[in-house]
Amino acid sequence: MSRVALGIIVATLAILLGGGPDAVRGQAPTGEYKIGVLEPLTGNLAFEGKRHMEGLEVVRDLINERGGVMGKKLVFAVADATDPTAAASEANRLITREGVKIITGTFSSRLCGAASEVAARHKVIYWESSCVDPRFNKRDLKYVYRTEIDATGFGWYNIEFIAKHLAPRFNLKPNQLKVAFLSEDSSYGQGVTESARQRAKTEFGMQEVMLEYYNWTTLNDMTPTILKMKQLNPDVVHHIGFGNDAVLFWRQSKEQNFLFKALVHAGATGYGGADFGKALGNDANGVFALLEPGPGFRLEALRPEGQQIEKAFRDAIQKRTGTYPFGAHQLAGAGLWLLKLVLDRAKTDDPEKFNAAVMSLDMPVGSMINGWGVKFSEVGQNANDRVQHYMLQWQNGQLVTVWPEEFTTLRAKWIPLGAWDQRK
Amino acid sequence: MIARLRSRPGAVALFGLAALTPLFVRDAYFLDSLVLILLWGALSAAWNVAGGYAGQVSIGHASFFGLGAYAAALMVTRFGRGPWLGMLVGVVLSLGAGFIIGFLSNRLRGPYFALSTIAFSQVLLIGVSRWRGFTAGGEGIPVPFRPGFTTLGLGHIAWVYMALAAALLCYAVEVYLERSRLGYRLAGVREDEDAAEALGIPTRRLKVLAIALSAALTSICGSLWAQYVGFVDPTYVFSVDLSVKFALNTIIGGMGTALGPYLGSILITSLETYLRATFSGVKTGFAGIYLIIYGTVLILVVRFVPDGLAGFASRLRARRAHA
Amino acid sequence: MDPARRLGPAQIDVLAQLAVATVLLGGIYALIAVGLTLIFGIMRVVNFAHGEFLMLGMYLAFWAFALYAVDPYVVVLLSIPVFFVVGLVTYVLVMRGVIQASHNVQIFTTVGLSVVLQNVALVAWAGDFRFVRPWHLSTVIRAGSTTFNLSQVVAFLIAVGLTVALVAFMKWTHAGRVMRATAQDRDAATLMGIDTDRVYRLTFAIGIAAVGAAGVLVAPLYAIYPTAGLQFVLLAYVVVVLGGLGDMFGAMLGSFIVAAVEVAGSYLFGTAWKEIFYFILFILVLVFRPAGLFGQRGAETLGV
Repeated sequence: MSRVALGIIVATLAILLGGGPDAVRGQAPTGEYKIGVLEPLTGNLAFEGKRHMEGLEVVRDLINERGGVMGKKLVFAVADATDPTAAASEANRLITREGVKIITGTFSSRLCGAASEVAARHKVIYWESSCVDPRFNKRDLKYVYRTEIDATGFGWYNIEFIAKHLAPRFNLKPNQLKVAFLSEDSSYGQGVTESARQRAKTEFGMQEVMLEYYNWTTLNDMTPTILKMKQLNPDVVHHIGFGNDAVLFWRQSKEQNFLFKALVHAGATGYGGADFGKALGNDANGVFALLEPGPGFRLEALRPEGQQIEKAFRDAIQKRTGTYPFGAHQLAGAGLWLLKLVLDRAKTDDPEKFNAAVMSLDMPVGSMINGWGVKFSEVGQNANDRVQHYMLQWQNGQLVTVWPEEFTTLRAKWIPLGAWDQRK
Repeated sequence: MIARLRSRPGAVALFGLAALTPLFVRDAYFLDSLVLILLWGALSAAWNVAGGYAGQVSIGHASFFGLGAYAAALMVTRFGRGPWLGMLVGVVLSLGAGFIIGFLSNRLRGPYFALSTIAFSQVLLIGVSRWRGFTAGGEGIPVPFRPGFTTLGLGHIAWVYMALAAALLCYAVEVYLERSRLGYRLAGVREDEDAAEALGIPTRRLKVLAIALSAALTSICGSLWAQYVGFVDPTYVFSVDLSVKFALNTIIGGMGTALGPYLGSILITSLETYLRATFSGVKTGFAGIYLIIYGTVLILVVRFVPDGLAGFASRLRARRAHA
Repeated sequence: MDPARRLGPAQIDVLAQLAVATVLLGGIYALIAVGLTLIFGIMRVVNFAHGEFLMLGMYLAFWAFALYAVDPYVVVLLSIPVFFVVGLVTYVLVMRGVIQASHNVQIFTTVGLSVVLQNVALVAWAGDFRFVRPWHLSTVIRAGSTTFNLSQVVAFLIAVGLTVALVAFMKWTHAGRVMRATAQDRDAATLMGIDTDRVYRLTFAIGIAAVGAAGVLVAPLYAIYPTAGLQFVLLAYVVVVLGGLGDMFGAMLGSFIVAAVEVAGSYLFGTAWKEIFYFILFILVLVFRPAGLFGQRGAETLGV
């Protein structure tokens, strides 16, 4: 083939990728400390990635107002991770070209798996704030940490709520409860649902009347499923929805007059997202979602340092987005704040010293944003019982905190859910 | 052999350059991009075997990619054996899948054929996502990195050579098709299937063969990819996006030419990587601009350079020869 | 045995409700598919960006509702001329250049278009899920123990109306006849003096107008986000192949068949398998009756 053409191709390649001698940007000049931020900013998960970025940027500014990290201003090198290949590739770029020693992100399990592998190979710290894949910490990778509990924790909390808070109010014992499990089939939905099923059955003996997964992106109609469920007559519906599927299920259940005592969800998507309330208004009343704290949260229940930073965080998010923080904001923000606490203690990003600092942290519940405490296990997982989660309920257009009762001024309503038009 | 090498200066230059690069460049990101270029190039070349040489334009090759990726990942995580054995299993599975698809879609042409391949890949996607017990369903499979050759736990430089080997393998198959009787018959099927059949060429059988061969090669690369990136997720490995990428690289580079897929891969992968690196971090609100540019470039290249880069280069050469 | 499967009087109610779900869903699929079968049938172009025009229609409904409080069923009238123009512009800018090119070129052109449109939407309007909540969304009509969602019923009626109008157009107007002639034999049509470029322009514009209107109609029923088109596009292709290329009546029937397969499959085996059923149906049709259930036998081997 033409040598000319070949030459052009090769030159293009060299220019695009090589970029010349200043390609490697490395760490910024003195005064700034750069970390890598890897989030899905395009594709299906873009809306969550955007919220994560908002939470991160808000907390970054809060950190810089308080002196930054290790005496320097915290700055981000942001990368978009749409799919596993991109995640790995961008992680590589952040490490090699941007010279970061710490990467945070990444929201989705398919992305955090690939990216953390790359980081581990380069001895770069991976500070995960939201992905819930239970296997994340079990791969023998060093310097990989997760600030949020994994899917098993979500399922654990949900069943805790159902067994200890709901069942008595239905005048039923946990092992008399009939539970229907419905879920979207991504790694998130599967992780939470499976752990919930496990605990429901083995620890409480709840009766599982249905288990169904579906793909939320192609779901058009929930009527067949609802008709089936009407006949199975569950007490509690454990539904992990992602987006449109939650709205569809709830709305069509109302149309079909499908009655049940409670619906419980977990996470910042689907029923736990702002869009659910926007789509249904007061019709959304009654749904429970396991999340980070919302309105009603008693700051007084937190320790003093926790109160300060939680208030600052909430105000900043309110100023920036006009709303109370949503789950994605809270997870990303808390993750970054926790990173700052570690760096304050370690005073360096040397992986071994960083690791020692991480392991030495031991703060009780109520110490920081979201009312979390901190205690990392040997494999870098923040403990279930420190990462306090809360049950929120949709009440008149707002997701308010209703459980655990010592943390909130508000109480859950409509237990059991009555007729559809009676939930005011 | 020297003569044959001299008759393909483009290939020598390209692969030679790729082989020499790790000796001079140590930048991990550059090497990573090189691995991806070679791997996507190899996958596109594998696609070319069916699409360019036999005229079977499929948009479902992710089926075979996914099968290869899962075979390798499962063999390691579930059965505790090595990824090479997984690769072998993947090849067997993909050959089978290739035969099935080839057989079922035998009478279909053009868009009908393309759509049937998409359907097949989606059936696989859904099936694998639901089979939680075996494939871990939607959660995907994290593939452990264990240093060593038998476990395909390689460093960046070694991966360049691994990807290069895969690229050379697919290239060799393409070259074989260009020079062999099998290749001439496939060309007949591609150019005018009815005429070829009238001439006594067993078109049906050849089509199935081409697809199966293409499938096997795709699967091999899929297994390599699984070990390289380290996470196998069904919604990605069986996705239509991936299938489109394989076809796209080849079309841009030049269908039915041996070097075309690699040229296309260089252009597209570089563009993709470059745009993503430069624009994605700009501002949250502008995420997506780089994809708009990517899509537009796609439309333009496909429209104005339909022969692909290789075709363009030949035309340049022909014009210069006549000048 | 699964209590859901035992037969009894309650089952009749369930069956009736499932039937209603099928019909209403089918109507929506029909409107989406009708535009596609037109484009596919007459221009022989696989339009991968079809779902993105649906998505744009949904956004049109959303912004009209959010900014001007206009009900989607009013917007749908506006959407037809708007998307007609969009179709024309797209044809002139993008499609015309590749109409004579090979299939691959056409396919990948529309793929590129699809990527561009999805990301234009993402950049312009962000990836958040949007919702249109007109008053009739929560209104339910009850007939005995069967419920009909008013929004779905209206969408269904309008979809049927538009499809019938399209069929009439194709059958009884001169332009329609010309389009059908071009579909049957492009070269003969040219020889007869038909301006094929004009025919394609019209075809594409009508096809996009149909899917844009479909987008407005379904906006109240689903979430609106940049990749929403993907939800429907593969399904639309199944319908189109099932019904036969270019055959609008076939597209309508195909829609109902696909809807029935989906609904029955979801009910009996769980929603997880729903797509598998219509993909398998798709493969079966392609293998045994590729021209579609209602198309001309052998059409698929004519080498579009």
